Amino acid sequence: MFDAFPYDEWSEDIAEFWTFGGQGSTGTWILTILGFSVMLIAFWGFVTLENQKLTRQADRLRASGALDKPTATGPTA
Amino acid sequence: MIVSLLQTWLAQAPTAEEVQEQLGLDSLILTETFYFWTVVIMWLIHVGFMAYEAGAARRKNIMSTAMKNILTIAVVTPTFYYFGWYIYGCFQEGWPKDGHDSPTVEGLDVLIGFCGNTAPWAAQMGPNLQDHVSAVFFLAFLLFSWTTGSIMSGALIERVRLSAYLILTALLGSVVWIMDAAWGWSSGGWLVTRFGFHDVIASLVVHGVAGAFAFGVLLNLGPRIGKYTTDGLARSFRGHSTHLTLMGLMLIFTGFYGFYAACLVIQSTIFPGWLNIYGSPTTLGAIAFVITIGFAGGFTGGWFASKGDPFWTLSGGLAGVISVSAGADVYHPSLAYLLSISGGMVAVYAGGYIERKLRVDDAVGAVAVHGACGFYGVLLVGIFAGGYPTGINNVESSFGGQLMGMLAFLPLAFLPGYAVSWLLKKLNLLRVPPEVELEGLDLAEFGQDFFPEFERVPEIIVEPDGRAVEAAPVLLDAYWRTNGRAATPVGTSERS
Repeated sequence: MFDAFPYDEWSEDIAEFWTFGGQGSTGTWILTILGFSVMLIAFWGFVTLENQKLTRQADRLRASGALDKPTATGPTA
Repeated sequence: MIVSLLQTWLAQAPTAEEVQEQLGLDSLILTETFYFWTVVIMWLIHVGFMAYEAGAARRKNIMSTAMKNILTIAVVTPTFYYFGWYIYGCFQEGWPKDGHDSPTVEGLDVLIGFCGNTAPWAAQMGPNLQDHVSAVFFLAFLLFSWTTGSIMSGALIERVRLSAYLILTALLGSVVWIMDAAWGWSSGGWLVTRFGFHDVIASLVVHGVAGAFAFGVLLNLGPRIGKYTTDGLARSFRGHSTHLTLMGLMLIFTGFYGFYAACLVIQSTIFPGWLNIYGSPTTLGAIAFVITIGFAGGFTGGWFASKGDPFWTLSGGLAGVISVSAGADVYHPSLAYLLSISGGMVAVYAGGYIERKLRVDDAVGAVAVHGACGFYGVLLVGIFAGGYPTGINNVESSFGGQLMGMLAFLPLAFLPGYAVSWLLKKLNLLRVPPEVELEGLDLAEFGQDFFPEFERVPEIIVEPDGRAVEAAPVLLDAYWRTNGRAATPVGTSERS
């Protein structure tokens, strides 16, 4: 009933492939370090890319004069 | 013939050991399936937060608002994987006393060594055919982490830099909240095992902490340009779609059922029934009962306190549920109804106080709904559920124990939010340039208007006396009064 399918045998093969050698193996360490490094680089990228966009747009808006000080409101003589 | 068939069947019948083995496997797969579907349902919380906040944003800030919710997933997921889950596994005793063998919880052998299983290089943290539970349990906690980020997200909209928000949300989602979860939302947490701290569905450990963190950030971020008059009176901005906001809230409510379910533990090979996060017996039905009646009470309280305001009525529902979540496994439905009505009211009054008295511009009332009601909910357990045996040590919950949790979590949440946002402010990386804020963040961040087929109409702002007026002159005047002076160090072209 329970051994009609070679699940356990196939599982062992797949487990070895999936885990790159399992807990604490060289492959796992390398992947962990790579992933962590990419994560940090992504943070740096989020900051710098956005800063460039915002700076460019703010400079453009200032140069355009669109936000110049409004003249006095209310009735004029 | 019959005897022959019976003999054949008996010869093929599984032994008692085989049946037991199969039952064990089925139980594990049931647990795996259960948490998997809680994760699916909890995604709706994030769909809801995105719709809720984008609806509350003005047309010029729709995508920049939604992008925060989307990229929350992009940054909290890897940070939680690389160190957030490890904090939960290893810091339950404050500091891992026995290294990777921590926590060493007497009476709950399944927890011993949990710390070592949470490191990103552990066998439990990857595809593992021998482990049906660890990965889905990790995912359920990850969804809670996203939620803390999304709670803060709404408060900061329309002027925070996306990148600043992402740094702050990684800190909140992968360090701050998960540290408090280790202390007060685990079987081995020191607040639980020593003080009987009881916050079963995370009133404080998720909502209150996210609200307190957001409050610290808001103090440095400041209000949106034009939010306050020169006399300090609050104006109101008109979100571009109240319908979208309300639909978002309803999606959050739907997702909350997954959130509640994921706060329970089911694994019948180890426990004979449902347990709460502390290891105390409960039922899924009891929890669902309280959440549903909590919504009913919260809507009611929010409606009356706000005199029928649609935004606060729905937010009141959320506040009501948060107020009864801490004791959701012990409250009688009638008690939950009464307490959630009061919770809906607390949110409305706290929201008004924060906006008008403290002059803190929380765009969606997150500090009031999540922060104030999160702390309120834990306090209520001390009053109405004192004496309830919490966790495997059966330490009685008490007013003092609840107070201890609040005193531990307030600085744990507020100080990092304040300190890191202060640092970002000093580096000029917290807030967008005022010119970009006036024009709208979407054009600067994405270079486009996200309703291109609709004509732009003048933006409206509501003055403190209730008059709806054209926003442009008001905002420009406020810009020149507050931001347009010499001290606007944006980019390379400072004003002189």
